[in-house]
Amino acid sequence: MKHLPRIDSKFIVIALSVLVLLYFIVFPMLILIYDSFVVDGAINFSNYKAVYSQNVNWKALVNTVELSLLVMIASVIITFPMAWLIGRTDLPWKRTFRTILVGSYMIPPYVGAIAWVQMLNPSVGYLNELFKFIFHLSAAPFNIYSIGGLAWVLTLFYSPFAFITISRAMEKMDPTLEEAARVAGASPLRTLWDVTLPLMAPSIVAGGLLVFIAAGSAFGIPAIVGMPGNIEVMTTRIVTFVYMGDDKGIRDATALAVSLMIIANGLLFFMSWLLSRKDYTTISGKSTRPNMVELGKFKHLAFAIVAGYAFVAVILPIGSVVMTSFIKSMSKGLELTNFGIDPWIPVITSAQYMESIGRSLVYGVIAACIGTVLSVFVAYLSVKTNITGRSLPDLLVVLGGSTPSIVIALALIITFSGNYGLNIYSTMWILIVGYLVKYMTMSVRTVAASLSQVHISLEEAALNSGASWLRTCKDIIIPLVMPSIVAGWFLIFMPSFYELTMSNLLYGADTKTIGVLLYELQTYADTQNASVLSVIILVIVLAGNLILNKITKGAVSI
Amino acid sequence: MSQVSIEHVYKRFGKVTAVGDFNLQVADGEFVSLLGPSGCGKTTTLRMVAGFERTTEGKITIGEKVVNNHEDGTFVPPEKRDIGMVFQSYAVWPHMTVFQNVEYPLKIQKVDKAERDKKVQNILDMVHLGEYGERYPNQLSGGQQQRVALARALVANPSLLLLDEPLSNLDAKLRESMRFEISALQKRLGITVIYVTHDQSEAMTMSDRIVVMSAGVVQQIGKPYDIYTKPANKMVADFIGLVNFLPGVVKGDRAFLEGTEVSFANDKNLTGNVTIAVRPENIKLSKTGGIVQGTMKHRFYLGDSVDYRVQVGDKHVIRVIIKGIQYGTFADGEPVYLDFDKVMLFNRE
Repeated sequence: MKHLPRIDSKFIVIALSVLVLLYFIVFPMLILIYDSFVVDGAINFSNYKAVYSQNVNWKALVNTVELSLLVMIASVIITFPMAWLIGRTDLPWKRTFRTILVGSYMIPPYVGAIAWVQMLNPSVGYLNELFKFIFHLSAAPFNIYSIGGLAWVLTLFYSPFAFITISRAMEKMDPTLEEAARVAGASPLRTLWDVTLPLMAPSIVAGGLLVFIAAGSAFGIPAIVGMPGNIEVMTTRIVTFVYMGDDKGIRDATALAVSLMIIANGLLFFMSWLLSRKDYTTISGKSTRPNMVELGKFKHLAFAIVAGYAFVAVILPIGSVVMTSFIKSMSKGLELTNFGIDPWIPVITSAQYMESIGRSLVYGVIAACIGTVLSVFVAYLSVKTNITGRSLPDLLVVLGGSTPSIVIALALIITFSGNYGLNIYSTMWILIVGYLVKYMTMSVRTVAASLSQVHISLEEAALNSGASWLRTCKDIIIPLVMPSIVAGWFLIFMPSFYELTMSNLLYGADTKTIGVLLYELQTYADTQNASVLSVIILVIVLAGNLILNKITKGAVSI
Repeated sequence: MSQVSIEHVYKRFGKVTAVGDFNLQVADGEFVSLLGPSGCGKTTTLRMVAGFERTTEGKITIGEKVVNNHEDGTFVPPEKRDIGMVFQSYAVWPHMTVFQNVEYPLKIQKVDKAERDKKVQNILDMVHLGEYGERYPNQLSGGQQQRVALARALVANPSLLLLDEPLSNLDAKLRESMRFEISALQKRLGITVIYVTHDQSEAMTMSDRIVVMSAGVVQQIGKPYDIYTKPANKMVADFIGLVNFLPGVVKGDRAFLEGTEVSFANDKNLTGNVTIAVRPENIKLSKTGGIVQGTMKHRFYLGDSVDYRVQVGDKHVIRVIIKGIQYGTFADGEPVYLDFDKVMLFNRE
């Protein structure tokens, strides 16, 4: 009888987490789907028919699919050779390139969009001016406000998803599989074609799909780069409808949101099925250093290409916003006398701006704290227990994380503005719920991975010594997985801090966040203040990532 | 012609010398094992022969062809060395059938289809996988996968076969039967083999000669019998088989067991402090008389033999293994006498 209370406390904690997750993740999505299909009390497709009969909406769907496909293909074509060069050859500066390419993932996409608009807008873009000067052109050679421009920026900022997936799979692949092909007489390129590529195929597809989903769900880049050129995608249409503010607008938005959700979640489901197939598992032997392919005479060429890409993808956009933030007057040229800290003064002394930064920090911290506690329970449940339905909370969290931000935001608006009891509309809590739904999955993954390393016997030994389950958690489990808990905290905090898509729909008069503020400044063409704020965000995100790196010794990074 | 010659080969990773001054001549059709504890440089040496590592210094020749010479920068990549190789992790390609795996080297050589089919079937029959051609590797056991790897390594008639701990992922029974299978196959094909292992019994049973390595340095090269009975130094004696080490002092042409009047012939003409080494199976136990007196401390019954620990003086416990003797012959605490046979002397460090 003595161990009965232990089971009880465990059960209560678990039941509570499941209820919380059901209420904040599943319930709003069901309401969203219901609202999209039910018109005047009957289930039908009339809402969808009405929405897609409008040319602008249909065009947005086509644009979204086309752009996502383009970005997916471009990302795979760019990142697979780079993952191979960095993982399997004697390319110089491999580690630096790796850090830069993975690290570009932490630049908020809308900051990248702002930077590329600065560089390639047709009227005064830095690079356009440069090209005009060098090649004596009368007109700007590039127009960022185009499908091509949009695809370009999306590719630069979402291809890290593919790079990370592909290079991780390449690291996990037994290098002797490639060596066996070499001794069988195959050249390095033939080995790449016959062995590496087929074995990597599932991961390449998975990485590509991740990019497809991310590009299709993106709001910041299409809003900043696409809208000025009248290029609409699903997310920008949804925002436009919600901004209309009336019931019809919201209902139209639900049809678009559910379409987007079906595409994104359907693809993710397909992807996890693809990766879970067992065909490609191989026994890995002792860890010999993989044989590095010698690039020989191509070494310098490969280096130049990778370095060029890293420069264009990461250094150039950061350089652009940093430079712009120090230009005294945008109407004057880039002379040395035109640089100074002057643009920073009004931003730093502005109460409005500083309040937004403070708010975003506070919301991020609250979301991270709540999310970390929940993540620990969810991860513990799925990794360490054998209760029926133990992986259900994990699944719910993954469902939240895999749903496009814009869809989550819309579902939360519909559900939590009083029609179903709880009304947190335009309070900070609706923002925090949104952040939690979207970003908890990363922290659950991190904590679960580290929990699975803690052998069950350590826990049993504590129970044997007479500790209750909660006491065991406090004294044994939590201390052992502490680094991953802290890492999980940062993995929720950082994206919440600079979040734009959901915040843009969910903020109220007193809850404007830094992402929204920055987006407004950019749309009002206040590129200088936007640049200063971008630099501030970049510095905070970089600092957060450095701390995270220190804590996890490089094992986890955003 | 497929002899291998490795001359003054060094491999350094930064400041660490993984292999130092390695010299070995492998004759045509010879089976040579590189044996040593993990991290001794044996795998690095094999990978240099295969072409996966460049030598920092030295020259490697396979057949008549210099494949690596640091002096003139000669380096032949692995695919042009005409070798077969079997890896510890099998490295059987999971996206190809057994047949496709084995066929691959022939396909690269552009052998025509009919010829290819014949050769693949032949070698699959030889490794007892004739019926398994259409299977995928994940439908095979570890032992079968290793046979696929072996067939793939042999199918193109390479001049040299390299094996990198091929049996260490298999269970004990299978490991033993695969030993004989690989040995028989090698004799039948007359192929030159370099075999890396940390398992001394594998090396002893299969090899014509063994290269014992430690800390990147060759300790001894010799036939299994010579390595066992005449180890070049303490490391080799300790690594191959079991051995008791006892402190000794040389006085003239005799080496005395420290603190006793017991002495052995100083046949190596050593001086000063030495180590007296004797293998447990070369010690006789008796109740009545011998050169050293001790007390029976522990007995471990192993079925085919008994493993004794005899306390001699205050400091030394000597291990004695006697085959086919009854467990109850000696009792714990009983005084016993020991006689040493085939005593080996080494310099003490």
